[in-house]
Amino acid sequence: MYRKIIKRSLYNMRDSYLIYILACAFAIGIYGTLVSMSTNPSIKRAIPTWRSYLGDISIMMSWVFAFCAVIYMVYVGGFFVKQQHHEFITFEKLGMQRWVVVMLSFFQTSVIQFFAWIIGLLGTVVFQKFLGMVLFYLMHLRFNFLMYISLADARHLLTVFLYSTIFFSGINAFKTMRILQKGGKRRAKKARWWLRIPAGLFGIVLLILAQVGSVQLIYDIDSIGYSPKPMAEILFILIADVFGTYLVYFGFLPTILNFLQKIRSVAYSGINIFSFKYLKERLFQNISTLWFVTELSAMALVLLTFCYYGYQQVYHNYNTIYPFELSADQNTVKTVRQELKKSKANIVGEYQTDVKISLASYYKESDKTVVHQPMTFMSHSDYLALPKRIQKWNPKVKSNEYLMIRYNSGSINDEPQKAYNIEVKNAPLIAKAKIGNSFPYGSTMHYGSIMIVPDKYYQSLPAEINDTLYGWKFKKGDRLNAKQIKHLEKRRGDYFLKVNYNSNLKNSSIEIIKKEPETYDHNVYTQIGFMRQGGFKKQFNQVGGFFLFIVSLFSVALLIALGSVLTLRILLRDDYQSRQLRTLQKIGVEETEIKGIVRKENTLTFLIPLIFALVQTISASLSFSLKLPKKLLLIYGGYVAMYCLFGVVSYQISWHGIKKKFSQ
Amino acid sequence: MQIVVKNISKDYGKKKNAVHAIKDISLEVEHGEFLGIMGPSGAGKTTLLNMLSTNERPDHGQIIIDDIDITQLHDREQTKFRRNKMGFIYQSFELLDSLNVKENVILPLALSRSHKKLIEERFNYMMNLLNIEKLSQRNVDELSLGQRQIVAAARALINSPEILFADEPTGSLDSKSATILLNYMQLVNQREKTTIVMATHDAFTASYCQRVVFIKDGLIFSEVVNPGNRDKFFEQIINMQRTIGGGNYFNVSQDY
Repeated sequence: MYRKIIKRSLYNMRDSYLIYILACAFAIGIYGTLVSMSTNPSIKRAIPTWRSYLGDISIMMSWVFAFCAVIYMVYVGGFFVKQQHHEFITFEKLGMQRWVVVMLSFFQTSVIQFFAWIIGLLGTVVFQKFLGMVLFYLMHLRFNFLMYISLADARHLLTVFLYSTIFFSGINAFKTMRILQKGGKRRAKKARWWLRIPAGLFGIVLLILAQVGSVQLIYDIDSIGYSPKPMAEILFILIADVFGTYLVYFGFLPTILNFLQKIRSVAYSGINIFSFKYLKERLFQNISTLWFVTELSAMALVLLTFCYYGYQQVYHNYNTIYPFELSADQNTVKTVRQELKKSKANIVGEYQTDVKISLASYYKESDKTVVHQPMTFMSHSDYLALPKRIQKWNPKVKSNEYLMIRYNSGSINDEPQKAYNIEVKNAPLIAKAKIGNSFPYGSTMHYGSIMIVPDKYYQSLPAEINDTLYGWKFKKGDRLNAKQIKHLEKRRGDYFLKVNYNSNLKNSSIEIIKKEPETYDHNVYTQIGFMRQGGFKKQFNQVGGFFLFIVSLFSVALLIALGSVLTLRILLRDDYQSRQLRTLQKIGVEETEIKGIVRKENTLTFLIPLIFALVQTISASLSFSLKLPKKLLLIYGGYVAMYCLFGVVSYQISWHGIKKKFSQ
Repeated sequence: MQIVVKNISKDYGKKKNAVHAIKDISLEVEHGEFLGIMGPSGAGKTTLLNMLSTNERPDHGQIIIDDIDITQLHDREQTKFRRNKMGFIYQSFELLDSLNVKENVILPLALSRSHKKLIEERFNYMMNLLNIEKLSQRNVDELSLGQRQIVAAARALINSPEILFADEPTGSLDSKSATILLNYMQLVNQREKTTIVMATHDAFTASYCQRVVFIKDGLIFSEVVNPGNRDKFFEQIINMQRTIGGGNYFNVSQDY
């Protein structure tokens, strides 16, 4: 008989269980893939960095993934126990012992876990091959990915299968026990305005504090460097955001719906007389789900934002350091050319620009200090002759304007847009200059800042040192061998600049030292003789591909989790709620109107968390940068589109479920 | 004739498991008539009522109401027809738990977007007619079974339907509540000239009708017309029940 009860329960909720099983199987499959990939020999062969750190990151991500999956599986698994609470209580009323009911729940969950794991483990085999190929593609690797699951990994997965099944079944058994202890009365959620409105207001205060905290955090990260304070601030922002969102939902969602219900012309018109109360009831029930989904959505958006800015920063730094595959100055160019001739490198582009080095002094706002440094000067027309990709990262500059290219301070906050009153030795004062970060021949080739000046200014500028910078682009790399590189390395510290500062710039001077000084003074600067991109581009592409792979995996998993949570919450109506929709049909409500109620419910359930998450993320992003980049908005748009797609699918499943109940 | 049923049939299930709920039924109901449909459990009463009320479609045959063949109407048109012309009282009341008594009662008028003034007028009239003014602000789960059925009746009647369908309306009620409800239904039938089609297996309930049609195994077995005396009519119904298949199929009320 018990077997029959379990079979019947599983059959009755087959649609919802199918969604849950597939979502769990996906999570298990991805977890298995991440675990087995870390030991896959073909990856180890193809990616040298896998052994050093990418493999460890993969294992770490598998643990993060497992942690998120456990939260999801525990939370969503509880929906089914809740759905069956009438049934469990009836069993007890009919004389079934409590422990028997609890065991029924335990075995029911075990069966579901069993199916989820079997599909998930099969998924591991398929996913590994498929995701491995995707990973290799993203990392620009031309290797054949071989499917491999080691015995140790298989044993590990089976152990997790066993323990997790016992764990999830135990949790659901415990939840069943709690239901039986509490008894079966359906408690109507009371309004309790005296509690809700103050709680909602407190929630708003917490959200505002989180916003203020974000601004403070950015300021602190910029200004205080290593300190436990930012960590404490992040923790505070997290707690304030999470609880603030819940309190706002708890306090204001029922209030708004109640307010709308009081407007009789709205709530008493047509089907609204029912749908308002029905939706209110459903939203009341689902507040914790809406909150959970909001936080997950916000997490997904923050993850995407973080990755976007992170990638932008890394990509920008990469381009700043390596605008050319090889760079040299006038002292090293001969040697470099000789080596390139030997290596038979296929040169597709060669650039050279004359520069002047002089002394400059200006007030740096971010450090609040006056800087005296050697500064490299380049004429506007020479700058424009350089490849456009170098100019792309800098602000546009007209022929009569000045552009100061300097190191990015690493600040996530907006850099100042302009620099003022730059004194140059024996040259007119530069009253105003735009600021950029992309160095024409790579940041290491210029000590200090570089100033793009109008041609006339450049011609009349008396130089302390004249130099010429060279840059090359190749087809399939510079082909320099280890011996040649070693030879070039000797010329890395080409010459040294010793600046003799005096009370003013006129009396200060730069002295060139050809030999490496015995002691490095604070006023001795090294001029790098050459810069080589080498294998860094490959490594950059590989690491970028790997992180893109991980982020995509997490984003898809998060979307599936969000979609399935909401779909299940909509699908798992209480019996009396489905009955009400059927009653409407019986008394002459058109099917399209009932469909409209289901659509409204679906739209509200999906849109409320999305809007809240977007508001939270965008307001947090705006604290970082006052203007959101178009690409980031496109990424958000992509997320919203995917999320809405889940909403549409959920609506279709939900309506299909109701239609099925109507025909029963 | 307001309702004309021509040779309708309805099967449930497929192949070997097929059940012939209605085999071949033809029937006519006059405007303002109070018709009872009786028969043992499983005879096809509810199926017939569902088909008459457009909640189900027959497999074969025609149902003509006010010269319109409703079996040929599209689902949407059927729903409109149902909403405008029909009222329903079910054994299980079918009240909406989310709404209070007033909202449940005014629902049909609100659905047809009637004027607020008209809604209030009709609501007060119905509450007054059925003597349930005190219940208006209560929630459904605070009502007794009898009260729920009266509320369901108020909802069914508020938009003055031309036809009222009642499926075992007294099935969940004690004899006192049942009597009150039946008296109200009779009152509405007489005052408002509402056509009532009521399915029941209770002889006492059926004795309020003007005519009772007996169904057995999906076919019309016979019919009894009220001679104008309820006691006599009740006895005729009991006799017919015995003829059909012994009194054990039917619930003969002991309180009559």
